[in-house]
Amino acid sequence: MGPAERDDMSQNVQDEVFDIIAAQAKVDRATLTPQTTLKDLGVTSLDAIEVIFDIEERFDVTLPDREANFDADTVGGLIDAVNEALAAKEQPAG
Amino acid sequence: MTERTRVVITGMGAVSALGLDAASLWQGLIAGRSGIGTLRHPRAADLRTKIAAQVPDFDPAAHFDSRTLPLLDRVSQFALLAAREAIGQSGLVFDETLGERTAVVVGTGVGGETTQDEQSRRLYAEDAQRLHPLTIVRLMTNAPVSQISIAYGLTGPSFAVASACASSNHAIAQAYGLLRGGLADVAVAGGTEACLSLGAIRAWEAMRILSDDTCRPFSLQRRGLVLGEGAGIFVLETLEHARRRGATILAELAGVGASADAGDIVAPKAAGAARAMRAALTDAGRHADQVDYINAHGTGTTANDATETRAIREVFATHADRLLVSSTKSMHGHALGASGALELVAVVGAVREGIVPPTANYLDPDPACDLDVVPNHAREREVKLALSNAFAFGGLNAVLAVARAP
Repeated sequence: MGPAERDDMSQNVQDEVFDIIAAQAKVDRATLTPQTTLKDLGVTSLDAIEVIFDIEERFDVTLPDREANFDADTVGGLIDAVNEALAAKEQPAG
Repeated sequence: MTERTRVVITGMGAVSALGLDAASLWQGLIAGRSGIGTLRHPRAADLRTKIAAQVPDFDPAAHFDSRTLPLLDRVSQFALLAAREAIGQSGLVFDETLGERTAVVVGTGVGGETTQDEQSRRLYAEDAQRLHPLTIVRLMTNAPVSQISIAYGLTGPSFAVASACASSNHAIAQAYGLLRGGLADVAVAGGTEACLSLGAIRAWEAMRILSDDTCRPFSLQRRGLVLGEGAGIFVLETLEHARRRGATILAELAGVGASADAGDIVAPKAAGAARAMRAALTDAGRHADQVDYINAHGTGTTANDATETRAIREVFATHADRLLVSSTKSMHGHALGASGALELVAVVGAVREGIVPPTANYLDPDPACDLDVVPNHAREREVKLALSNAFAFGGLNAVLAVARAP
């Protein structure tokens, strides 16, 4: 795909990640920015692993494994992780 | 007021990643040897989890006859093997009279998980029309209790206890209560777990709490817990009963304490942990500054280890800097419902031999866990009184206070 399509896809990823987080954290989607941290949103560690599960299910990707400690993680960081996982999936196997 | 009934430990048995008996576990722990290794599982290639603390070289057919074996899930096999060792060490031979005065209380987090997983695969993946007829008797949570009761003719009060990662300590506390309350003279008690099924590992993976390198409790570089399996079973007796028969007493179970956080379903609360530790000390009639060693819950997660440190500081104040705290989960892994029982082997060893097992795999200190966690090497230290902590998901806490044999 070309750069324009890739930008569109990234925009979609951001939109959908915002949707998932807004629904899980029960916050107004309009207040979300890539700089927002999950802690800012009052997201507990259990909410956070549900957010990741929802994202993985939606994009059919597996985000890097690590212990759930999302205090310092930003929404933008999650979006980057999704984009990286999608890019890795796009690579031809072998 | 009469002197309260005292409870002592006269036998112990264990099955763990460090071997098939309590001596292997204890020797491994004081050598600082970790039982954590590459995950052995038929579906290992598909799993993100690459490590676990699994029981090595376990051939059930070497331990159980062909008539009994079909009745036993792995979780009951571990429990029976550990019970055999514990009862053997105690020297007790159960006749009808003693059997009636003997309780069996065993904790488990999930029970017959191997059976559950296998039969689910048959049902859903192979579309099987029928399941194995012994499915229920293998997987029921009380199966380990019932199998021990049947094997030794123990007909006193017997039941299973479930509180996830605190199941062992709650079970031992219940047994202690039966002895203190006069409902039994002897109790066979502990915990067992065999939880490394595909389904359970996948479920733990989804919690994103498993470490991918090893278990490093209290260390700055800790990355989560490592699942384990096994069983620890003890023979508890009233002091009077043990003395009357001239038994060798390994240690005294001096007190128990329990509490519930009533907070988050997973995030631990220092106040709940602190209340359980205080309750155990009060029950034992001891002061905080008499404690020499704490075998920590110490899972190796960011949240547990920092919260447990705060709870210990809250209870012990300045004495927190004098006592030793170690997490043996760094070596036997987190065997969930069996953990507290494996850790009681460590605590009994510490009070008997004056050696405190280390926190293995330790790298750099974390300011949030600023206790003497006995990094990497066992330490000689006289231990007159020790606590063993267990704090479960769901906020259920149970602490055992163990003292030297009276």
